[in-house]
Amino acid sequence: MQTPDDERFETYLKQFSPVAAAPLPQESVRNTSLHRFRRAAWFAAAAAVIAGALVLRTKLVRDQVPIPNNASTAAQVPVEPLTLRRANARLASGQTFKTVLDDLAFRPESAPLPEGKQSAVSVLSKEKIKL
Amino acid sequence: MKRSDGEIAEIEALYRRHGAALVLFAVTVLGDRPRAQDVVHQVFLKLIENPILAGVQEKKAYLYACVRNAAVNEIRLRDRTEPLDTDFPWFVAPGQDRVEEQSLRRALATLPVEQRQIVVLHVWGELTFAQVGELLEISSNTAASRYRYALNKLRETMFAKENSCANS
Repeated sequence: MQTPDDERFETYLKQFSPVAAAPLPQESVRNTSLHRFRRAAWFAAAAAVIAGALVLRTKLVRDQVPIPNNASTAAQVPVEPLTLRRANARLASGQTFKTVLDDLAFRPESAPLPEGKQSAVSVLSKEKIKL
Repeated sequence: MKRSDGEIAEIEALYRRHGAALVLFAVTVLGDRPRAQDVVHQVFLKLIENPILAGVQEKKAYLYACVRNAAVNEIRLRDRTEPLDTDFPWFVAPGQDRVEEQSLRRALATLPVEQRQIVVLHVWGELTFAQVGELLEISSNTAASRYRYALNKLRETMFAKENSCANS
């Protein structure tokens, strides 16, 4: 515990003020501040360049890769021409007559038939069927 | 950039308020004033560069801890300790009394390093004994008792000299 003597002596000591510190070097303070600004600007610029490059790359990749659509996919899948035999085989194996007929009706446009072959539809259309 | 400008202004204000006592404390660690001044400058410039002070609760105690660490690092770096430089004034005495200032400076120089640091931290740094204890890694009770011991020794040295001068 401090005695009154201690307190008085402490008060006496406090009357002495430490010699003032030399001012902070303003050049360094300004440079530090400027340095921080420059660094931030460089980071921002680098980030913008990287983001731009990424966007450009994504765009280029998107342009180069063909987007698959149903029509072209269908065109690429080799479709066997519908002959009378195949139509009969389908009718025989199909679950119901309607399903097979729908399937045949909504087939994508097939590739041109090889020489000497005829499509079932064209053969059937030539026949005179009396109902 | 407004935020960082505000932070720099705050750090400059802290330097204006505590700079003198921080340099005095650094002198008690390092021995000479130019190195002490450099160390305090380095600490503040680092604080400006890395704005970490915003999250600190007890800023004053934190500044003293920074200065102490920087001073200890400086001693390690140079691998030597300078003798305490008592040739240049440390204080401005009341009434600009140079003899009185010299008497205090020399009396402080007779104290062991830790006691001297405790006196400087408590009297001119205005840190509590708890803060002083934390800084010097001793208990607050130890800090308080060493402070009282140092105060007695300081008083004896200062006034014994004055008495001897008056008697002669």
